[in-house]
Amino acid sequence: MRKYITRRLLMLIPVILGVTFIVFSIMYMTPGDPAQMILGESAPESAVKALREKMGLNDPFIVQYGRFVKNAIMGDFGRSYATKKEVFAEIFARFPATLQLASVGVLVAVLIGVPVGIISATKQYSLFDSVAMLLALLGVSMPNFWQGLMYILLFSVTLGWLPSGGYGSFKHFILPALTLGTSTAAVIARMTRSSMLEVIRQDYIRTARAKGVEEKKVILKHALKNALIPIITVVGLQFGHLLGGAVLTETVYSWPGIGRLLVDAIKQKDTPMVQATVVFIAVTFSIVNLAVDILYAYVDPRIKSQYK
Amino acid sequence: MLKSRKLLAVLALMLSFVFVMTGCGKGSNQATEGGKDSIIVAQGADAKSLDPHATNDQPSSRVMKQIYNTLINTNEDMQIVPGLAESWEQKDEKTWVFNLRKGVKFHNGEELKASDVKFTLERMLASDKVNHIVEAIAKVEAPEDYKVVITLKEPFAPILAHLSHTAASILNEKAVKEAGDNYGQKPVGTGPFKFVAWQSGDKIELEAFNEYFEGAPKIKKITFRNVAEGSARTMGLETGEIDIAYDVEPVDKERVKNNDKLTLVEEPSLSVAYIGFNTNKEPFNKKEVRQAINYAINRDDIIAAVLNGAAEKAGAPIGPKVFGHNPNIKPYEYNVQKAKELLKQAGLEKGFKTTIWTNDNPVRVQIAQIVQAQLKEIGIDVKIETLEWGSYLDRTGRGEHDMFILGWVTVTGDADYGLYALYHSSQKGGAGNRSFYENKKVDELLDKAKATNDSKEREKLYHEIQEIVVEDAPVANLYYQTQNVGMQKAIKGFRLHPAGHHRLYNVSY
Amino acid sequence: MANVANLQTADVKKTKKRSMWVEVARRMAKNKMAMVGLGIIVVLVLLALFADVIAPYEEVVIKQNLSMRLKGPSAEHWLGTDEFGRDIFARIIHGARVSLKVGIVAVGISIFIGGSLGAIAAYYGGKVDNLIMRFMDILLAVPSILLAIAIVSALGSSLFNLMLAIGISSVPSYARIVRASVLSIKDQEFIEAARAIGANDFIIITRHIIPNALAPVIVQGTLGVAGAILSTAGLSFIGLGIQPPAPEWGSMLAGGRAYLREAWHVTTFPGLVIMITILALNLLGDGLRDALDPKLKQ
Repeated sequence: MRKYITRRLLMLIPVILGVTFIVFSIMYMTPGDPAQMILGESAPESAVKALREKMGLNDPFIVQYGRFVKNAIMGDFGRSYATKKEVFAEIFARFPATLQLASVGVLVAVLIGVPVGIISATKQYSLFDSVAMLLALLGVSMPNFWQGLMYILLFSVTLGWLPSGGYGSFKHFILPALTLGTSTAAVIARMTRSSMLEVIRQDYIRTARAKGVEEKKVILKHALKNALIPIITVVGLQFGHLLGGAVLTETVYSWPGIGRLLVDAIKQKDTPMVQATVVFIAVTFSIVNLAVDILYAYVDPRIKSQYK
Repeated sequence: MLKSRKLLAVLALMLSFVFVMTGCGKGSNQATEGGKDSIIVAQGADAKSLDPHATNDQPSSRVMKQIYNTLINTNEDMQIVPGLAESWEQKDEKTWVFNLRKGVKFHNGEELKASDVKFTLERMLASDKVNHIVEAIAKVEAPEDYKVVITLKEPFAPILAHLSHTAASILNEKAVKEAGDNYGQKPVGTGPFKFVAWQSGDKIELEAFNEYFEGAPKIKKITFRNVAEGSARTMGLETGEIDIAYDVEPVDKERVKNNDKLTLVEEPSLSVAYIGFNTNKEPFNKKEVRQAINYAINRDDIIAAVLNGAAEKAGAPIGPKVFGHNPNIKPYEYNVQKAKELLKQAGLEKGFKTTIWTNDNPVRVQIAQIVQAQLKEIGIDVKIETLEWGSYLDRTGRGEHDMFILGWVTVTGDADYGLYALYHSSQKGGAGNRSFYENKKVDELLDKAKATNDSKEREKLYHEIQEIVVEDAPVANLYYQTQNVGMQKAIKGFRLHPAGHHRLYNVSY
Repeated sequence: MANVANLQTADVKKTKKRSMWVEVARRMAKNKMAMVGLGIIVVLVLLALFADVIAPYEEVVIKQNLSMRLKGPSAEHWLGTDEFGRDIFARIIHGARVSLKVGIVAVGISIFIGGSLGAIAAYYGGKVDNLIMRFMDILLAVPSILLAIAIVSALGSSLFNLMLAIGISSVPSYARIVRASVLSIKDQEFIEAARAIGANDFIIITRHIIPNALAPVIVQGTLGVAGAILSTAGLSFIGLGIQPPAPEWGSMLAGGRAYLREAWHVTTFPGLVIMITILALNLLGDGLRDALDPKLKQ
């Protein structure tokens, strides 16, 4: 097991290197001069030129990229062009907000999605199934930011129950988590339903039923346990994505997360910030995936023997 | 079953870990309940840095204005008044002497000395980001503890206005040296509020500095919140989460006005919005074409539709609040007939195809759409291209564009800042003259006005410059936007500053 | 000899394939929800095709009338007018053209690139597989929004570049799907048979493997069109959408958000249309999945 984890982590290195190369090329090739961005539209050209020179932006691409890799290996990802803060300090300052929102969002999604999926599967083609699946589909179909604006209108402005945005207290969590949660719940509910449907048709379920095992037990103990793998996969994937920030939800609710950090950095041509954020997102995503794979082993002992 | 229970336990543990680690649930931020000695201010973006030499953006300046002071202040009526310097005199054309206020304390307990001023201005001159604001300065000396002598490279009349810029805020030498590279997150000033904490991307907290030289402020705590969505700022006002919201969206203005718990203050700002023409390119090298477009644009429609009336039609390139504004210049009237005639004179009666560039600012995108429709009336087929801000500045600086939409804020409130960069031929391209306009006479007058100390004489020169520039029409000035702030009615003592960074020292509940 | 054999297998395969698709269609027809979805899509496509007949583009869709700004639904303007006084109903119908095109072309791009890469990876295996799939991992790790901004700012913001941006960001998922299904096919007997009679790699991949790996791609593609439409809307929201005045649903929705409370109809109707379209595509996709999945046969 430990070997397996080590190998997976080692495999990350080339991926990360590739990612940095692509990001660096993108930032290098797209028009827009970081020096001009820093100085703003009303700065004299001589100042822009001097700053370009100072920042080493006139060096050839390979020299610039090499410098980045060398510093990165030494653990120095540099400082943001825009704020002069150390990029990872900034990312870690923002990450808690993202982590909390992603966790609560996924929790909401699982609490809604899994039960709805199970009931729909056991009562396939019933009224509940149709209505639940339709609602689940509506959840995926609604643009996130639109849903967010509607919630604010209803819960903060009209009813006055919840804050319209911001970060800090428990109340601030409810709307963003609900927005993220409902669209994620829809994905989870559909996956749970189809995975359960597949399992329910298997022979051993029939056997269990024939033996006279209580229906509730059949579903929750025998069927769910075996349907769990694809569900965990989806939950893990969604969680991984949310850890990369949810730009639209963050924007609507003024949530200080990773997603907006990245978008702002891209818009400002803040290359060090973009690099570090993308690397960070890629690493967290891979770690979540790895965690999901390890979880498989706990859920299904057959898989455990494959980790060598 | 056992396994899944274990799983649940693990999940629960992870979640609680997340919350404990990140210190979630730290009490609520409701502003309106209880203690009226703290206020929450919302603006559209987070500050970038609180080091005045590290950035020159509006959100940062708005926070720094509370933390720092400048030698000279420009007050809300755009008059030059004493700041940290209680008096000053001009020794000769190029030498200025400033006498500092005594007993001014920095937030770290240090006393303000002339050496701090010298240190600050020298550091500013070495900063690539803001040195252009004080580039006229050749040398700063501190002969006595409370006396500063500034020598200019050449006579530069608007120097006082430039020293009142927030970027020229006075820093404490010791604090800057101690903080090193992290000074932007540990600012120390002489202002009425001192820095407490910064939750990146979310909020900045300041508290009252009781030893402030004009007396402790009435408010004990200010929180600057970053609320990017305009509609969210208004909603926050309505729900009472926000006390003061900067830049209420035009469409929300009525809503704030009609709410009996809120007020809206609105005044002209120092900004002008304009459409520029690339005068290097066909057919914009023809004056008639540029004038024709000026006549074909219905500015009233733009102001009504895009800004809900929150602007004044622009004729002169600098607004009424700026020193040197020429009040006799009327905006181009909306006259399609005249526009067509001018196009005919230019030999383009059939119209032509062109593009207009804008960045992704929604107001500009809307203006582009309206102008697109209006120019269609005179046969000009305009394609809109929305560029991301970085490439927009970069490519317009290199002159790849036909037409473009941009704004200019004359932050110093002096005509030099608003006219030199935009219309002097030495400033072509990224420096500000993105229409690549060149007129020898204008160059000459701009240089002369810059060096003239007599303000009557200067004013006359600037009036003349504006007349020529408007006639030549390298740009179509659209409007001077008004700025607004929405706030709870209970708030007293708030005044808008035309430059946009409002002083909160006098604010109280 | 080889030719004859080739002909024969092809013939057998063709009839087999035809009966398979007939079977799928029969199963689809029984699924009411899927048919509702299909019905909605057909109506949308028809509206898009005949948009010019219903509302002329120049005079109605992009012509501004500022005196008619933000008027609510009425007999004259069924769904009201937007912030420039344009008829929202007409814009939604013409928007169907843009949005459906964006969705379909973007997915087409990702299927073409992703599918080819996935097929090549699976078919050749070994180093090639490893190289391609690691590259896919890298691409997956680059946030799609960065890709979109990069492509749009490097190549200019045309409709095609937007489709390219959205398309490229989902290349890895198609590569994975195709790779997986090709892997499950490539060792089956009929492939070996084809190789035995001298078919080259190109023929085997295009004639035998791709058609048989198509089912999961079709399902994913249907859902992908929905995803692409949503992505476009999201990009519009952060200011990187389609160039005005083209009526695209996402930018209509995003542009109207400032008037959410003064003029609810400006965002509500485009929002509803997006929702219904996505819903229909999802119903159709789910139906296809069920119909194509032999395991779910009852």
